[in-house]
Parts: sequence; C-alpha cells; structure tokens
Amino acid sequence: MEKKAGISRRKFLAVSSGVAAGSVAAGVVAGGLAGYFIGQSQAPAAVTRTVTAPAGTVTTTVTAPPKRLKVGYVYVGPVGDYGWTFAHDQGRKWADARYRNVDSFYIESVPEAQALGAIESLVNQGADLVITTSFGYMDATAEAAARHPGKYFVHISGYRSGAAGNAPQNMSSAFAEFYQLYYLNGLAAGAVSQTGVVGYVAAFPIPEVVRHINAFVLGANYSYKKRTGRNIRAFVNWIFAWFDPGKAREAAVALIEQSNADVLAFTEDTPTTLQVAEEYTTRRNRRTWSFSHYNDMSGYGKNSHLTGQIVNWGPIYLDFYRMVGTGSWQSVDIWTRIGDYMPYRWRRPAEKSTAGEVDGTLQLPPVHPSVPSEWQLEIKRRYEEMKELLFEPFSVEGNLGEPIRDQRGQVRIKGTERADWKMLWEMDWFVEYVESELPR
Amino acid sequence: MLSLKLERRGEVSRKFSAAVSGFFLLAGLFFASIIFELLGVSAVETFSRVVSVFTSQSSLMQAILRGLPIGFAALGLCLAFKMNFWNIGAEGQMYMGMTAATGVVLLHAYYGYIPDFLVFPAMVAAGFLAGGLYCTLPAFLKVKFGVNEILPTLMLNYIAMHFVNFLITGPWRDPRGFGFPLSIIFPPYARMETFLGHANFIGLPAAITAAALIFGLLQKTSIGFEMRVLGQNFEAARYAGVKIGRTLLTGSMVAGGLAGIGGLVIVSGMLGRLRPGAPAGYGYTAIIIAFLAFLNPWLAVPAAIFFGGLLVAGDVIQATLNLPFAAVQIFQSTIFLMIIVGEFFKRYKIRVVR
Repeated sequence: MEKKAGISRRKFLAVSSGVAAGSVAAGVVAGGLAGYFIGQSQAPAAVTRTVTAPAGTVTTTVTAPPKRLKVGYVYVGPVGDYGWTFAHDQGRKWADARYRNVDSFYIESVPEAQALGAIESLVNQGADLVITTSFGYMDATAEAAARHPGKYFVHISGYRSGAAGNAPQNMSSAFAEFYQLYYLNGLAAGAVSQTGVVGYVAAFPIPEVVRHINAFVLGANYSYKKRTGRNIRAFVNWIFAWFDPGKAREAAVALIEQSNADVLAFTEDTPTTLQVAEEYTTRRNRRTWSFSHYNDMSGYGKNSHLTGQIVNWGPIYLDFYRMVGTGSWQSVDIWTRIGDYMPYRWRRPAEKSTAGEVDGTLQLPPVHPSVPSEWQLEIKRRYEEMKELLFEPFSVEGNLGEPIRDQRGQVRIKGTERADWKMLWEMDWFVEYVESELPR
Repeated sequence: MLSLKLERRGEVSRKFSAAVSGFFLLAGLFFASIIFELLGVSAVETFSRVVSVFTSQSSLMQAILRGLPIGFAALGLCLAFKMNFWNIGAEGQMYMGMTAATGVVLLHAYYGYIPDFLVFPAMVAAGFLAGGLYCTLPAFLKVKFGVNEILPTLMLNYIAMHFVNFLITGPWRDPRGFGFPLSIIFPPYARMETFLGHANFIGLPAAITAAALIFGLLQKTSIGFEMRVLGQNFEAARYAGVKIGRTLLTGSMVAGGLAGIGGLVIVSGMLGRLRPGAPAGYGYTAIIIAFLAFLNPWLAVPAAIFFGGLLVAGDVIQATLNLPFAAVQIFQSTIFLMIIVGEFFKRYKIRVVR
C-alpha cells in the first residue's frame, strides 16, 4: 500500500528537500541579480559635455538632470480610507495630471516608527522629492533630509523646515488649514441644532485639532445663540488614533446617547462619524448631522451630511514639483487658508459666492438645504470675507461681540484683537462652551 | 467509511524538518504569486525585489533595525512561553521600557542628574527594570491568586498606552513643541547610533548576547531547568518541589525586561523621542515571531530580522510596483501562515483511516 507511489519515502524526502534548497538558492541568486540591475539602472548617468570656449576646449563631466521628476509619497493610512490619505492621493493625481513630466509613487499605511525606512526606500527608488503626509513623520523626514542633501523633502502638518530654522534647508513644510471652514461648519451646526449640544470626535489633543474644535464651537455658538439666546454646549471624545473606525464609532455613539448631541464634527481619518449620524437619522428616528472631512463623504450620509471641510492638496504639490523640476527650490513653510492658491482672491457678494466650489486648496461642500436661507447667506458672506482675511473667527466679532474666554473664565481675546499665528499654532485651551476637559 | 485522523509524530530528523519547511515556504510563494498575478504584476519581479532587500546593504540594515525591537521582545516571549506563561503584554512592557528610558533622559535634560556618559547605560537599566516589573505584576497575580495571566497581560497594554498618552500630553510634553504630544528630542549620547555610527552596530550584538544568555539560562542553570519543568507540567513541577513563585517571577522579570529593552531600541534607536503609539504593534508581532522561532532563543533574532525584511520588502514593492498595502499584507501573512502550517505537519501526520 505504502509503496504504491513507486518511490520510497526516504528518496522522496531527499529529492524534495534538495528541490526546496535548490529553488531557494536559485531564488536568492535571481533576486540578487535583479536587485543588482535595478540598482544599476538607478545610478545617475554621467554625461560628458564638451564646451568650446574661446580659450580652448574644456571638457566637464556633469550629472545629468533627471529626465523625469520622480516624486515619492509616504502615507499614514490606506489610500482607500476615504479621508486623510485618500485626499492626499487625490492631490497627488491632481498635481501629476498638470505637471505631466513626473512619475510619482507611494507607500501607504506606514506606521510612524517605520517612517525613516519608508523614506529611505523611496530615495532608493530614485525619488527626487519625497512628500511625507503625517505629523508623526516629521523627525524622520528631517533626519532623511540631513542624510540626503541632494534630495528634497516636504512634510505635511508639522513645524520643522529649513524656513523655520529647525530642519535642513532641503526640507519644507506645508499644511492646508481648516479652522475657517470649521467655523463655517459651526455656523451651520448652530443653525440646525435642536438639542443645543454639539459633539466632536477627535483624534489627538494637538494644537491643530484643538484649534478646529474651538473654531467649530465658536461658530456653533454664534448661530445658536443668535437663534435661541442660549449658549451652545459642546462635548469632545478623544480616540487617540487617526484611523480606527471602531473607536470612532464608539465615540460618536456616546456623544449622541450620553451627551445628547445632534451635530457631530470630527477630526480623524474615516467617515465613521457621518455613518453613525446617518444611522441615527434614518433608522433610529433621531435627527443627527455630521460633515465631510478632507474629501467629499456625502455618499456616506445622504440625509445627514450638513457641509464639511474638503482639501485639495494638488496646488501645493504642484508648487513643489515646479520648484524641484526647475531647480528653484527654497525651503518654505506653507500654511494655506481660504483664498490662498486662488488665481484671484477678492471677495464677491454673498449671492455670487464661490462657496461650494474648489477654491485653491480648500472647498466648503454645499450646505444642506435644511439650513435656513439667512444662515446660508451668512455662511457665504463670512466665506467671502475670509478670502481677504477681513473676518477672523478667533476675534470678538466671531463670538457675537463677546470676548473669547477659555474654560476657566480667563479672557483670551478681547477688544480688537485677533488670534495670530502663534496663538493658533500653540492653542492648548478650550473655549468656554466646551464642557469636556482637554487632556494635558 | 473513510475518516481522517491526526497522529502525533515522534522526533523528526533535521532533513525531514527542512524538507517540510522548504515545501511549505514554496507553497506560500506559490499562493502569493497567484495573488500577484491576479493583481497584474509579475510574480518573478516581485520576488526578486523581495530578495533584493536581503542582498542590498542599506535595506538589510533597515530590516535589521526594524527586526531588533521585535527580536528582543520575542526573546523574552520565548522564555515566558517556555514556562507556559502566556504573556500577551509585550506591547505594554515595551511601552513601559521606553517610558522609563525617556524618564532617564528627562531627568538628565531637565534637572541635570546623571553624567552624560552614564545616560545610555541608565536608560538600558531603567528600560529593563520597568518592562520587567510591569510583567511581574500579572505573574504575581498568577502566583498569589491563581489569576490566568492572559487577560491581565493584555489589559495592561492599554493601561501602559494611556499612561504614555497621559505623560506625553501632559508633564512630559516638549515645552518648545508647539503643544504637540511629543517628548523633547533625545540628546545624541542617548541615541544608539552615536556609539558606533548605526543603531544596529550595538543593537545586533546585544540581541545575540541576549539570545545566548537566555539559552544559557534555560539550558544550563537550575532555575532554567525549573522553568522548563514548570512549562511542561505545572502539577509535576509543584510535586517535584519547584519554587513556583520564585521561578515565575524571575522568568517574567527577564521576559518583560527584554520587551522593555525592545521599547528602548524604538525610542533610542529609531525615533529619538517618545511619542504616542510608538511601539506600533511590535509587541504583538513578537508573539508571532516567538512561535516562528519555535520558542528557540537562537532563532528568535533571525526570525525577527526576517520579518523586518518583509516589512522593508513591503515598502519596496509598494513603491516600485504600485501594489496596495493590502497585497503586501496578504503576501506577508501567506508566508507566515504556510510556515506555521509546516510546523503543524512536522508534529502531526494525517492518516486516512477506514
């Protein structure tokens, strides 16, 4: 019975182990050779250029400029997250479509501890420009910039760059700022809220998120107080993750069930909060609203999508492509607001506002028709004013003429003051209408 | 009536074991290549890129660097699992190790304690102690109250994570970091690469030394013998007069301490500062690696470096072939699954019984 195969077990084992060892060895050799040739093809080609000068013939060897610009991206989430990373990938495609003479590639879902390795991989692939798109990659990007002085690096959402003086000169930083859009979202929220409570699902207690929460709550208070005479109440749930649909869901449900919030804003990378709002609106008979964050998520909440914040990273990327491609690099610290990267930025009458369209790097998605028309108009008026920075949310005007106080009652902005860059960048306090504590 | 029956094999020869491993490795590559072909990329090209990770110097260094923290933690887990102490908490122990190491740096940077040249040795000691003590907590519960260690070790991960979040959003936040939850950047003498130019140059010898020490502890000392007996049969160990409390506490101290050292490698060798989520799941990966190494301390570090290489390979094939991350994960897990299935067939055979 056992001998039926015509080959003894010992022989079979000897043969199969030989085959296994042989094929592993063959794989190593083939892979090594392939790796060698890949490495070869990436070596910059030296070009001998003969220049005839009056004094005689001078031969110089120069490194040929890259024929096509190569750009590598490091993403923190999967490109299919329909949030932060998806938006970056859209920006990459936008810039690629316009620059043409470029090859771009990316590595997705890179944990922050592995960022340096991912950047090195991209540089090894021949990238001239590496764009890293998560705050956590900041130090790794600066380290890579120091190691590769001939390459260029752009970090998104951090504070280290050659321009800021805390990184090498071949590193820039950039960010598309949302706090103005969050203020407008707040205006819409306060205009529809029935319970007078807004909730916020937030990733990490960093100044960016705190600033967005405050702007949103100030806006909500503005319209809600004007409507009802009462202050808005706001609750924040921290999930300590950028991409965690499970935690985001728990946080959103808790805000609805426990805090009685009926408008939920969020800063994390998934449409989960909007999905929860849609679920409560359509299936649990509880009118709940939420927003788009970083890209158009309205498909996830057809009945509960109020407005939101959408980014178009493309113009920023294109700017860097051009800088590297034309050899005109200079380290910059870009921070775009409404109006930036627009062909023109003068304000229009509210009736002819471009709110709802892609303007420069930002877009305020169309506001749901449930928002009363006077508030629709108010949102457009503020939007247009902010194009020319005529209106600043963090000002007494943005808070119904009241000074802006923090949770402890301390006055932070009074009189004709406006929040300046430093205050916005280091914001570590909540406005008085927020009832949750800021982890510190 | 046909039926399948599992039968335990006795000792198997090295040749047989190598043949089974080779066969299942090839099977894994075969399944992976089907997936790659379905995605429209050439499997041969993909594999050659994967292999090139281990042949090119710069990517091999990266693979080693990524493997080191996993390797240290996996070494500790080899010891813990040998004692039948199911420590799922390497992640939390890594957190504690990196927290203690960062604490030493802050003590030095903020208050001027500890001379420069002693900072790194003190970080190593603190990382080991913190990780170890954090692991003895569930061991103590097990010894004293008979609490199963699986749940406490798992839950302590979350406590450690939130403890770090608390420190880093509060008292340990970089005063000049614009309010972002990060510690200060470590001074050069607190970073592993300053000693010999690259973190691997002290990390790898240290890992190999640690492997030798664990091997020696398990095979050559009486307490190591007691640990193994404890792992084989708890009741027999008790009957034979093994001091169960002492053995378990010592073993868990060493196991957690090594995970703590893994955490130290992350902050000192890779990141250069403490940040939320720094262990990046390496503590959980270490569990797989420990089993991949058959709980053999000598194999734990190579297995971890192999895994580190697969991580780097994932980056490379994403960047060069435009494959999605999910495909990379499928590739990595297919290889691991097949290796583990191979292990199964080394221990058992399936017989058709009629």
